[in-house]
Formats: sequence, C-alpha cells, structure tokens
Amino acid sequence: MGRWDDWRARLGLDRSSGVRRRGSLRADLDPPLAQAWERLSAAAPYDPGTPLDEVELLALDLETTGLQPSRHEPLSFGLVPVRAGEVVLAGARHLPVRPRGDVGESATLHGLTDDRLATEPTVAEVLPEVMAAFLTDDGHRRVLLAHFAQVETTFLEDAGVRELGTWLDLQVVDTLEVERRLLGAQHSEMRPGAVRLHACRARHHLPRYRAHSALVDAVACGELFLAQTATLALRRKRALLLSDVLER
Amino acid sequence: MDVELAEVRDFLAQHPPFDALPEEVLDRLPARCSLRYARRGSVVLHAGGRGDRLWVVRSGAVDITDEGRLVDRVGAGGCFGMSALVEHGPIRYDVTAREDSLFITLPQADFDELARDHPEVAVFFAATHHGRIRTALGQLQQPRTGSAVFRTAVADLLRSAPVSTAPQVTIAEAARRMTEAGVSSILVMEQDRLVGILTDRDLRRRVVAAGTPTDRPVREAMTLDPVTISSQALALEVMLEMTGRNIHHLPVVDAEGQVVGLVTTTDLVRLERSNPVYLVTDLAKARDVDAVVGLAARIPRIVEQLVTEDATAEDVGRVATALTDAVTVRVLELAEAELGPAPAPWAWVALGSAAREELTLRGDQDHAMVLADEADPEDPWWGAVAGRVTDALEACGLERCDGDVMATNPRWRKRVHDWQVQFARWAHEPQPDAVLWAAIFYDMRAVHGDAELVPQLREDVVARGARSDLLLAHLAGQAARMRPPIGFFRGFVLEDAGEHRDTLDIKRGISAIVQLARVHALRAGATALPTGARLAAARARGVLPVESAVDLADAHELMSYLRLQHQVAQVRDGRRPDNHLDPESLSSLDRRHLRDAFQIVRQAQHGLSTRLPQVT
Repeated sequence: MGRWDDWRARLGLDRSSGVRRRGSLRADLDPPLAQAWERLSAAAPYDPGTPLDEVELLALDLETTGLQPSRHEPLSFGLVPVRAGEVVLAGARHLPVRPRGDVGESATLHGLTDDRLATEPTVAEVLPEVMAAFLTDDGHRRVLLAHFAQVETTFLEDAGVRELGTWLDLQVVDTLEVERRLLGAQHSEMRPGAVRLHACRARHHLPRYRAHSALVDAVACGELFLAQTATLALRRKRALLLSDVLER
Repeated sequence: MDVELAEVRDFLAQHPPFDALPEEVLDRLPARCSLRYARRGSVVLHAGGRGDRLWVVRSGAVDITDEGRLVDRVGAGGCFGMSALVEHGPIRYDVTAREDSLFITLPQADFDELARDHPEVAVFFAATHHGRIRTALGQLQQPRTGSAVFRTAVADLLRSAPVSTAPQVTIAEAARRMTEAGVSSILVMEQDRLVGILTDRDLRRRVVAAGTPTDRPVREAMTLDPVTISSQALALEVMLEMTGRNIHHLPVVDAEGQVVGLVTTTDLVRLERSNPVYLVTDLAKARDVDAVVGLAARIPRIVEQLVTEDATAEDVGRVATALTDAVTVRVLELAEAELGPAPAPWAWVALGSAAREELTLRGDQDHAMVLADEADPEDPWWGAVAGRVTDALEACGLERCDGDVMATNPRWRKRVHDWQVQFARWAHEPQPDAVLWAAIFYDMRAVHGDAELVPQLREDVVARGARSDLLLAHLAGQAARMRPPIGFFRGFVLEDAGEHRDTLDIKRGISAIVQLARVHALRAGATALPTGARLAAARARGVLPVESAVDLADAHELMSYLRLQHQVAQVRDGRRPDNHLDPESLSSLDRRHLRDAFQIVRQAQHGLSTRLPQVT
C-alpha cells in the first residue's frame, strides 16, 4: 500500500491538494448552468446492489495542463456512455475548452495548443453539457467511470465549486482500482506503470490506440471496463452488481 | 463526425466492405456503432437467438460453429452475424470468442440503410454466396491486355523451316517447289545469304503478266534484297511492317542476320484466331513422334494465351483436352502405320479429367481400351500400341498414372462385354478401392478408333449404376469425404479441425465438385461427362435443385479458373505447374470468393449426405 501512496503523493494528488471547499450554490448562475445543476442534483444515484448490466456509466477523461486543480486547468473533456456491456459511441462527445491561463509545457503531452483552444468555449460554458451527460433517460445519475479517477473527480469538483459554488458526490468506478482488485495479492509487488491505462489494456488483449485525446482515452477506459467486468464476472461465477466495482 | 472517433473510422476504412464507402459515409459510421468485448472462450452469439446487429472484430478472433462443427474463423476486420440481418431471421450459428476480443457493432437499422444505399455492401453481405461468385467470375474473366498481336514475339510465330531455292534455279522449278510445299513464297538464298524472295504475286506480275519465260532463272523474277524483320520483334511490328509496305511475306533474321524463318499474313491471322486450331492441323501432319512431341510443347503457351485473354476455365479445359486428344490421335495413327491396322474393332478411351474435357497444365495419363467382343485381348498389338502411346504422351509432358490406370495395364484392355461385367461388379459389390476405380471409369470418352463402341457401353453402365443404391452410396460417401477448407484465417488456410495450413490444395475443392457432379449425374441416369454438363443434366432431371446446380457450376468455374491462373504463372516462371496456391498470393477478394466456393461445396456435400445414405 505504501508504495501506492508514495506515488500519489509524488504526483500531488492527495484529496486535500488544493481543491476548493464546497460552499452554497451561487445565486447569480446563468440559466443553462442553473438548470443543469437542478437536473443533476435531482437525478437518483444507483443503489449499489443494482445489477451492473442495469447501471449506466459515463466514461470520462480530462486533458489538463497538469495534475493539480489548484494550479492547473482542464483543456478538454472526453466522454462516452457505457451500459449493458456496451460502449455507446452515439453518446461520445469531445469538448475542448479554453483555459484562462497558458497551456504551457503540457502542450507537448496532449498536443492542444493555445492557438487551437483560443476559439473554444470556457469551462463554464461546457459544464452544462458535461453535467447533462450524467443524466439517464430513467432519471438516474450515471456513474463516473475513469482510469485513475482522482484526476477527473478533483478537477470536476474544482470546476463545479468554481462555477456553481458547490458540487455533489458522484458515484465513481475507477478502472485502475478494478485492475488492482483483479490482480489481487500480486499488486503490492507491482511497479506503478503496471496499472497505467495502456498496460491494463494490453493485459486484457485490447488493441493499442495510436492517437491520444480525451475522447480516445475515455473510449479506451470504457473498453477496459468491459474487459475487466467480463473477467471479474467469470471469476465470481455470477453476474456483477454495481457494488462489485464501485469506489464510493 | 467527431474526428475523435477517427480510430474506429480508420479501422473500418481498412476493411471490406467498409473500405468501398465514400468518405462522408465512413465519417458518420462510428457514431452509430457501439463497442463490445468478449473474453476468450465466452459465447458471443447463440444460434437461434435474435440477431439485431452486425459484428466486426476489432481485435482478437472468434470461431463460428454449427452444432459444434467449425464453419469459419474470423479475425480482426472480419464480420459475423450478418446472415440473421440479411434474412431478418434468427442467428444461424454459435459464435465463441477464440481470443479476448473487442467488437465494433452496428445496429440492424443502420446496417439496412448501408446495404440499401451502397450496393457493394449488400453484395458483400448477400445471403447466398451465389451472387458473390457470379460477380467474382465477371470481374476475373476480363482480358488482362489486348489481343495476342501485342504480346506474341515473331520467334513464336515460326512454324517450320522456310522453303528456299538458289538464284540460278529456273522460275518453273521454283514454282514447282512452292506448289509442293503448299507455300505462297520461296526464299532465294546464295549460300547462307538471303538475296531475294519470290512470291505468288511476283509470279503473276513479273512472269505471267510480263511474259517472262519460265525457264529463266529465279533471280530475274524475284524481289531483290527483301525487307526482313528481327526474330525479337513483336507480332504487332510484323503487322505494321506488312501493312505499311503492302507486303505479305517477311523473312525473319536472328541477331547474326541469319534467316531463321518466314512470317506471312496467314501467320498473323492464325495468331488472332488463337492458334489451337492450327496446332491441331499441324499435329495431324506430324511425320513422327518427335515432331508430335515438338508440337505438343506449344500447348502450355496456347493455354497461357487463352487464360491471358478472357477464356473461361471451361473453355480452356476443352481446348487443352482437344489438343491432348490431337496428340494422342496422331501418336496412335503413327503407331498404326508402323504396326499395321488393329486386329479387331476397338477404341482408345480417355478417363478422368481428360474424359470430362477438364485438362489443365498439370495432366497425367488415364486411359484404357475398349475392344469389340470378337477381339482377342491377348493379341500383342494392343499392348504394343498402348506402350508407344504412353511413352509418347509422357514425352509430351503427361505423367504416367500413379495407380496404373492406363491402357498399358492389360487389366484395362477389355472387350465391351467384359467392361459390362466389370462395371456390374463395381455396382454390386463395391469395395472401397473398387469405388475409386468406378469413379475413374465412369468418366470415359472415346478418343480414337471405333468410337461407336463406347456410347453404348456408357449408356448401359450408367443405367446400371443409377439403379445401384449401394454404388451411389459409396460414391456419395466419397464425394462427402473430400472436404474443401473452411476458408482463410490470418493468411493461412483454415481446415475443418481448426488447424491452419500455409498452402491451399485447390484440387481438393475442384475434385469435390467433380465427385458431386458425377454422383448426381449418375442418380439422374445422365451420360454427360463435363462437370458443368453433369450438373445441368442433374438439374434438368430434378435430381439437384436449380440453385445448387448453378452455384456448384460457378464454384467449379471459379476454382478452376484460379488454378489455371496459378499454373500459368508457374509455367511463365519456368516452374512445374501444381495445385498448391499460396494464400498470401491471393487477393483478399479472391480469398473471399474462394471461401464462398468452399461453403457452396460444403453445403452441397451436406445436402447430399442428408439425401442419400452413405457408406464411409
């Protein structure tokens, strides 16, 4: 366990690392943001005992200028719904955003340059669409699905508090944690690189993707989740419940 | 489209039938798809279930099985689940992940729209293999290049040494030599040097019309220093030269300037009319076996030319058979001339593929003799003739039969009555190897001699065979055992038990159809020999459903055609032709069509085994 915590600490990803505190909902919200919040907070979380096949998830990946919400910013959101063993590409969205500051050195990682982002909307402008993506047709709130979900949850929390004054606890499935669970006892012997997205995918014989973007990684994460749950169900010899994979 | 789904789009764009779609259609496709995953060993689709989507393997591989029997193995880029979509019926086969696999799936509605708007997609996923094979044949049998004139070298036109004379010979003597040799021109040579040419036209204009006495020397009537052409030139250049100068005869010289022959407009006409006919004529005139062997060496070139043009495999088979017949007949005539006439009426019969008129570049000898009932089979004449013919055919490149099914074997020189007894034995007490014999001898065709001995015998034995359930069952068992491969998987040939081979023995697929046609024709009591004709006869007599007959004939043509192409390429490379195709050398289209052909054969074998009891 210690090694894990070391790694996270080195990346500056403690839960407390500079995320703003939730306050009360701002009174002066733009109507789209206010409506999106109203719908999102009204949607019901899933009972952890729900069969996994009946749960809708939203695979989410963020490209950011760095890993600390206090100092860094999101540059694009990639999202795609996952339900009943399927990554539903019809719902795939790629939403680039214009940061307040410079992209800086991080452009070398994700290829998003200041020029390219100059005409994109701000986080405040895309947040309603991101929030809407969490809604199912039957009034549920989709479970956030990400690989090493802490990046996505902390940046979302930060964006929410910044733009809305508050945020809410989303249900989360982290494919990195699911992978650790699948690897069981071996994981303590493992180098951190062994649970990175592409290493996990290779372990499940998923193809390599050439390109990287928030959406490609969200799709990649969704596929990994399908593979992981197929393996886990086989191991448990039963259909999975949400609680089998849920973080919180 | 969201360009971010380019990964899915680009993948689809690499694989048929999506590769044929316009860009804008491809761009919109990914957003209609969803992705699924299956672990190795898990069931993806159950036969009988509802098919509501097309499945494309993104990575990994699946096995498609029918009640446990492997039907196909599909790797990345391959599709499955389409039969249910096309037929709007239940899923036909079980599909199991052979490896951990990721799939791209397309809902029925979007599939229907694609198939409706893009005929090539509809053809690709056609419910029957029939339409696809027909299309394939249409695409295959297109002439690769223009007419033979553009490709044939002059050296290949030269047929025999030119007729020549010396300049001091009289005009009358030269004209006599021309008449004797049946030529329309004569070369005038001084030692080894060409000094002139005398043609029919010269005789008319410079002798008859000009009143020149015919006892004058040739040099006074000939055309001096005629135009020549290099033996390396193309037939096309000969044609240009002749039409440009309005001449009909061109002496051909080699690199040293030595005359090696003469080409005439007739040679060009022959070339254009594709020369098999003329080879037959030349064979009929061959003076000895060596000359026959020399002429037979041209057969591969003729076959090559026919394949390069747009002949069907059926036509090529007929031509190759006609040429081999001509070789056989000439050798028999030469033998008869030497040994004297046959002691009794008799016929030389071809067996197997030669009897069916389906010879290829890789033939072996299967033949026998049918003697009149009054003949004495012990007469040494039969064996002597058989020996000569067999030797000559071998010299012509036709290998001796491994199983000794040749007229040299006294067992296969029988009187009509003895053949009837033999066939009756095969029909009533079929032993496993007896069935092999029967199969060979049911393909029998008279090539030379008293041909009328044979049709009567054939009608008799076919009628007898048609009544023998036991023989039919044995033949059906034989036909069902010759399993063609399932298809191709990752560049290998996929066999029944799931094993992979790196060469495709195309003869197996062809033989399977030949055997199916034979047993169906026999059931129909039809004496037809060529596979296509047998299938047509079985169809006409209601023994075989129309669709199966047409599909099998198409599959036979397709496989035979690809085999010919393969053999022609080998001959061109100076290699011995064989039946082993390298799957890597086949285009993905050919592979797909071959797979269709294999499926047609397998279905027909299945149909036969459910219709007839089998003895295995």
